[in-house]
Amino acid sequence: MDALILARIQFAANISFHILFPTVTIALGWVLLFFKLRFNATGDAKWMDAYRFWVKVFALSFALGVVSGITMSFQFGTNWPGFMERVGNIAGPLLAYEVLTAFFLEATFLGIMLFGFRRVPGWAHTGATFLVAFGTTMSAFWILVLNSWMHTPQGFEMRDGVAHATDWVAIVFNPSMPYRLAHMLVASGLTVAFLLAGMSAWRWLRGDRAPAVAAALRTGVVMAAVLAPTQLVLGDLHGLNTLQHQPAKVAAMEGNWETRGNVPLVLFAVPDEAARENRFEIAIPSGASLILTHRADGVVPGLNDFAGRHPPVAPVFYAFRVMVGTGMLMIACGLLGAFLLWRRGVLPDWLLRGLVVMTFSGWVATLAGWYVTEIGRQPWLVTGVLTTAQAVGPVPAASVGATLAMYLLLYAMLLVAYVATLYRLAAKGRVIEPAVLVRGVTA
Amino acid sequence: MTPFLPAEWLPVIFAALMAASILAYVVLDGFDLGVGILLPGMDEERDRDRMIAAIGPFWDANETWLVLGVGLLLVAFPVAHGIILTALYLPVAAMLAGLTLRGVAFEFRAKAADLQSKRRWDGAFFAGSLLAALSQGWMLGRYVLGFAEGWAALGFAAMAAVGLAIAYAFIGAAWLIWRCEGPLQRQAIAWARQAIWPMGIGILLVSAVTPLVSARILDRWFTFPEVFLLAPLPIATAALLLGLGSLLRHMPLPGDALRRLPFWGAVGLFALFFAGLAWSFFPYVVPERMTIWQAASAPESLSLILAGAIFVLPIILAYTVLAWRIFGGKAAELRYD
Repeated sequence: MDALILARIQFAANISFHILFPTVTIALGWVLLFFKLRFNATGDAKWMDAYRFWVKVFALSFALGVVSGITMSFQFGTNWPGFMERVGNIAGPLLAYEVLTAFFLEATFLGIMLFGFRRVPGWAHTGATFLVAFGTTMSAFWILVLNSWMHTPQGFEMRDGVAHATDWVAIVFNPSMPYRLAHMLVASGLTVAFLLAGMSAWRWLRGDRAPAVAAALRTGVVMAAVLAPTQLVLGDLHGLNTLQHQPAKVAAMEGNWETRGNVPLVLFAVPDEAARENRFEIAIPSGASLILTHRADGVVPGLNDFAGRHPPVAPVFYAFRVMVGTGMLMIACGLLGAFLLWRRGVLPDWLLRGLVVMTFSGWVATLAGWYVTEIGRQPWLVTGVLTTAQAVGPVPAASVGATLAMYLLLYAMLLVAYVATLYRLAAKGRVIEPAVLVRGVTA
Repeated sequence: MTPFLPAEWLPVIFAALMAASILAYVVLDGFDLGVGILLPGMDEERDRDRMIAAIGPFWDANETWLVLGVGLLLVAFPVAHGIILTALYLPVAAMLAGLTLRGVAFEFRAKAADLQSKRRWDGAFFAGSLLAALSQGWMLGRYVLGFAEGWAALGFAAMAAVGLAIAYAFIGAAWLIWRCEGPLQRQAIAWARQAIWPMGIGILLVSAVTPLVSARILDRWFTFPEVFLLAPLPIATAALLLGLGSLLRHMPLPGDALRRLPFWGAVGLFALFFAGLAWSFFPYVVPERMTIWQAASAPESLSLILAGAIFVLPIILAYTVLAWRIFGGKAAELRYD
């Protein structure tokens, strides 16, 4: 394999591993703040028990996010020097603002949030929890601004082959940013919703019926019921935005080869890029036209309009179906769970088992979604400005391959350790020491 | 953003900011990597927990200075960032693997099921800390020689790698002297005594080699009148080393007096060494190849970052001081609740 494809696999491996953990911490920070505020308001020890369990999950996820994030910050220079050379004037300030406004904030107050419970007043601990949650969200904001700008760049001019910023408001509020940011924040919410519900259902099924477990289960199910349908709407809006700015990506997502009206919604197929057609297609007539143009005979762009300039079809096409399929399961679990909780107050065992299966569904959907959007941008790194091949560095393939093997080994080991530790913490939760906290002492 | 400063000042300011971040990183993560390197030297489980507790609330924020330092290199001198990081490709990867192991081992050991698996994560913590320290020293050695090839250059890099690991062990021991008490503190004093002279030799060697390999650096140090202006640097370094060595022989002092001094003395040594390097290389960002003005980003972009940094850095410093005050004093058992 050549250095370009190895470097791409390495970047994909690094960012895929990295995104797992911020996806957990962005929303879990706010859930922890919710637990803390409920405890402050009600004095009910179950909220503090829930906080104390989930803050450990947060700490572990945060540590993994930090270390893999540091790897990301070096990847630009080690593997993709052309990126900063060409668009550094735009990417630079955005990354700098992420470090300055987010990284230090979350890293410093995390220490107080994790270890400062007995050292600072209750309000200060609640404040630290808020600042950590706020910091993780700010971090997501800046990095998604940069990522969105790479998809839909504006507010710059090229001088001597280098991008120079002309309008920072246009750069920050580029066309795809609001959709991508909302879609990702809700994705994080859903990931945490199913993590909360799945881990709590697992504990419940093992006979751990502590009030804190029930509270976390309920929180997860209600979050899922609210966020999963919301995500469907946001995803649709994001898709329409993509249709406007990156039609080739949408054509690959839909597996649509010819520009025409009455384009069917392809549920399943095996796209054949050589023959430029789909095999084994199962489709709903005019479905894609309806979704994308809101008219049965609406014209949807096809891949053949972008021959040689469109992304590889199969990975985008399949990843999109994995994401949407997982999303549909999430909607079903969330709505059903919330309905049963509302009518009966408890969840039946079969649904609890279903939630256990869905524990990490947020990771599946998030990764699939990022593969759709990132592979869907190919062959561009920055749409219309810089191709991925132009940005890759001069490092020999052997070095890229060796470090890739090292990263893969390390990440596989850490992922196993992470999941195993989550379940061990959950199993240990049964003998958790009784909450001796009194509201007056801590609040 | 319209530049609010003469455009040729901006690269100098960013070089200074970057140097300050890297120095902050070397001092701050230096002490917690050093504690990691020293960890296997302690058998007692409780004392191991205390060593970890002494760095627990800090390591995360400490590591962020690396992201800021590399981030400033990336955003202010993008071309140099590409040259330096592709030249240091393998040691960077080794350092990242080390930092990853160290960072996660910290969390995993606290949640380990039994002593055996806890000890395994301790092993990962030590190996990660050592690997990170060695690769950073290696990179320093390669950088100082302008990424020269050949056995001599690699030998120098290997020596710098060992030197930096020893320096980190020293500042880690100095941190433990400040933050711990009883037998652990006495052990830390013994560690510091062992590390200080090898560290001194390392400083001497790097300082001696740098002017030898570059006529420009030789000129910069040994021309009149600079030689007199710069004389305080090596003199202060020697005085600090001798003073610290003598202090360590007498520690622990009654009433735990001067417990902070070894750490701040180590900070002083690191800063002096760093100032010497900075003087040698300025204005080059890639030694002998590219100056900060050749490598700098557009003034508009730098101005925008600087405006943010002027506003945000004091806030970062303020809450860092706050965290240091909250977690001041001797390290107690670290609990999540």
